[in-house]
Amino acid sequence: MSTFTRRTFLKTAGIGGSGLMLGVSLPASALSNDKPFKQDEFNPNAFIHLSEDGSTTIYCGRCEMGQGISTALPAAVADEMEADWDQVTVLQGEGNEDKYGPQATGGSASIRLMYLPMREAGAAAKFMLEAAAAKKWNTDISQCYAKKHVVYHRGSDKKLSFGELATLAGTMPAPEKPTLKQKSQYQYIGKELKRHDQDDVVVGKRVYGVDTKLPGMKYAAIVHCPVLDGKLKSVDKSAALAIKGVSDVIEIDRFDIPFGSLGGVAVVADNSWTAQQGVKALKVEWDTGKNAVYETKAYKKQLIANVEKSAEVMDSRGDTPKALEKAKHTHSATYTGGHLCHAPMEPNASVVWVKEDSCEVWASTQSPADIQKVLGQYLQREPKDIKVNVMMAGGAFGRKFKCDYVHEAAVISQKVNAPVQLTWTREEDMRTGYYHSVSAQHIEAGFDDDGNVDAWLQRVAFPSINSLFDKSVERAPKGATKDVYNHPFGVKNMQVESGLAPAHTRIGWYRAVYAIFYGFAIASFADELAHKAGIDSFAFLNKLYDNNTNPKQTEQIERSKHVLALAAEKSGYHQRDKLPDGQGIGLAVHYSFSSYVAMAVHVEVDGDNIKVLNVDCAVDCGQVLNLDGATAQMEGAVVMGMSLSLYTEIVFRDGQVVNSNFHDYPVLRINEMPNVRVHLVDSDKEPTGLGEPGVSPFPPALANAIFAATGKRYRDLPIKPMSV
Amino acid sequence: MNKTLKINGQTVAIDVDENMPLLWFLRDRLEITGTKFGCGSGLCGACTVHLDGQAIRSCVTPVGSLANKSITTIEGLSENGDHPLQKAWLDNRVPQCGYCQAGQIMNAASLLNQNQSPSDQDIDMAMQGNICRCGTYQRIKKAIRAAADELAKEV
Repeated sequence: MSTFTRRTFLKTAGIGGSGLMLGVSLPASALSNDKPFKQDEFNPNAFIHLSEDGSTTIYCGRCEMGQGISTALPAAVADEMEADWDQVTVLQGEGNEDKYGPQATGGSASIRLMYLPMREAGAAAKFMLEAAAAKKWNTDISQCYAKKHVVYHRGSDKKLSFGELATLAGTMPAPEKPTLKQKSQYQYIGKELKRHDQDDVVVGKRVYGVDTKLPGMKYAAIVHCPVLDGKLKSVDKSAALAIKGVSDVIEIDRFDIPFGSLGGVAVVADNSWTAQQGVKALKVEWDTGKNAVYETKAYKKQLIANVEKSAEVMDSRGDTPKALEKAKHTHSATYTGGHLCHAPMEPNASVVWVKEDSCEVWASTQSPADIQKVLGQYLQREPKDIKVNVMMAGGAFGRKFKCDYVHEAAVISQKVNAPVQLTWTREEDMRTGYYHSVSAQHIEAGFDDDGNVDAWLQRVAFPSINSLFDKSVERAPKGATKDVYNHPFGVKNMQVESGLAPAHTRIGWYRAVYAIFYGFAIASFADELAHKAGIDSFAFLNKLYDNNTNPKQTEQIERSKHVLALAAEKSGYHQRDKLPDGQGIGLAVHYSFSSYVAMAVHVEVDGDNIKVLNVDCAVDCGQVLNLDGATAQMEGAVVMGMSLSLYTEIVFRDGQVVNSNFHDYPVLRINEMPNVRVHLVDSDKEPTGLGEPGVSPFPPALANAIFAATGKRYRDLPIKPMSV
Repeated sequence: MNKTLKINGQTVAIDVDENMPLLWFLRDRLEITGTKFGCGSGLCGACTVHLDGQAIRSCVTPVGSLANKSITTIEGLSENGDHPLQKAWLDNRVPQCGYCQAGQIMNAASLLNQNQSPSDQDIDMAMQGNICRCGTYQRIKKAIRAAADELAKEV
């Protein structure tokens, strides 16, 4: 866990001679040590700009994709600054990590990383405004206090607006360590705030990456090589070039770095549709190469075989094999899950303009620095010379962390010497993904007559994200399995093994990442054990936590148990014997990304018809920044959890993705929306993120609920796969 | 002479290949971008607009088929962004990323044009062609009910 005890260094700079502009920079050590993505250099800054007319701009350096970070963090700044939220405009910062700090937006890390620095930036601004007032009134700063965009003088009716003080405040020294508010003083933190941009959304004026328009811009569409590491054999461009409006057909080579293009053929035209028609008219032949053997059905079977025999030991405590042998009772089960593609509503799109001496990008992205790195490498230019305008993303879920679609637009722009907008079709989005891993897990446990679990062996096999960065990786490494080993259940003899699982496609982060299948296996298996032991699941889970004597995990155990109790209570779990036949409530709790989420899922099952009635989500993410935003994240996580539990699966045949659009990659629709109730724990603990932690408890809670309702145990996700 | 159609009350010449879907005519030719591209096959509803007050999927509607017809997009749904649905969307804080919401609102407006007091089932039936990957369905339902209540008061 990160702790923000470092000194913050604040600095100021006048802007055009008037107004206050404030940056905050902190040393690299101020960043979380369990950050999910590599950040190798830091000098982060966040900016506030206050004009003489009082209007205040707060820049958000983290990327916005619907998770609400550009409301939550700027509101925390405004709170500490005593700024009036109604006078604040939030702008998205461009790609510049020197200025804004880490911008790679993933791992539910934004709030963990930036909550304190952003508050300190706001508090420093307030201090400087108060100092400016003190100077004007020739009094001590202690006689001045800011409230809602005005600084008041204690003991008289003198006051000055923030706007009136802006320029003078810009000349005041920044405090070494600004004083932060107490919780009781918060105006915006922990309250229900509307998204800063929702007014624009409902009238169609919110501009997303795909909406970028530039004078002289050309439009492109693309078809990719359908198999990883395949090559273009031949392309007949004539029919495409004969289409009115098509200007160019461009071959794009595989750029074999982690976020480079898979390789393909692009068509450039005077509008997107004509470009798409051009792509359809291409006659392309591919040399599909060695990954053409990839077939997910067979691969999943192989993964099962690989976890149902000994594999490579990643972590071990006690003597698990011996404890299993000696155990009074044992149980084992194997869980599996398929590939997933992110399918955000806005397909991959970007505009790039490569010129002789500059390169500018407009893209929905989760990581502008990666765009700078990849384009810098491709164009042989310095990353800082690539200007990245971070556009609002129409959903991302991990996909827009990878900038292959930006790299491709750069290739095309350079070739046609014009700004180019490349928009992938939905079909390309589904077939050219960075997929969530297909997985198999086998768990064996031993327990006594009282249901005390003494041994837990968990073997996992899935192609890991590491394979994206190192092609020699053939099994999930220790870093990817540690969350299993460190699970807060108290089991004395524990062994985690990793089975062989070479990657045949690009694997990437998908909202909640490995927690999706770890949560599913662990929380499903705990429920199975409870039933085997003849103990109520709620009591059994509590016993599993209580048996943990590791003092380092005391807090994790307490907070896990608390959310579990809350979800159970709110759902009516304890009165479940009153439910009609065919109904059941399932519980699951999972700790991930430093947040605690428990879910109680209430289902009604009639034959194959699974209807989710209610979902109670109990959440402990420490101090909540925006109650409404946190609630929305949980509602959304339930929907995504339900899609992947029931329906979504990417299928490969002959090395190629078979799915193509929402008819064969069916996601949850409104008619199946359950009643979701979110219960946020009121906490003073350090705030943690909620973009991802809500996804993982849903699948096991659902499977446990179906078991409670019917006695049927589902161990393979999705439960109702589409035959494609 | 080109054929024409009306978009948000303005007459516009159809000066492109008549097979071009309305979606791309709006987005790339007219640069009216509130209407979104999601699937290109009428499967997700992000591109929903109104043809004479009724919801259609602009991504599968050739612009040439709309000669002399009247199209309304999200930008033209109300003068000041104050359609009861737009207000209800704000009151219920529906949007997350917001990308699908223009299509959701246009589809809901078409529903309310035909049925001023839809039941929950009516809402489910009418809205199930509109996908939201952020998962705002619960709030969409609440907002439609609220807007319907508002309309009932106006009558």
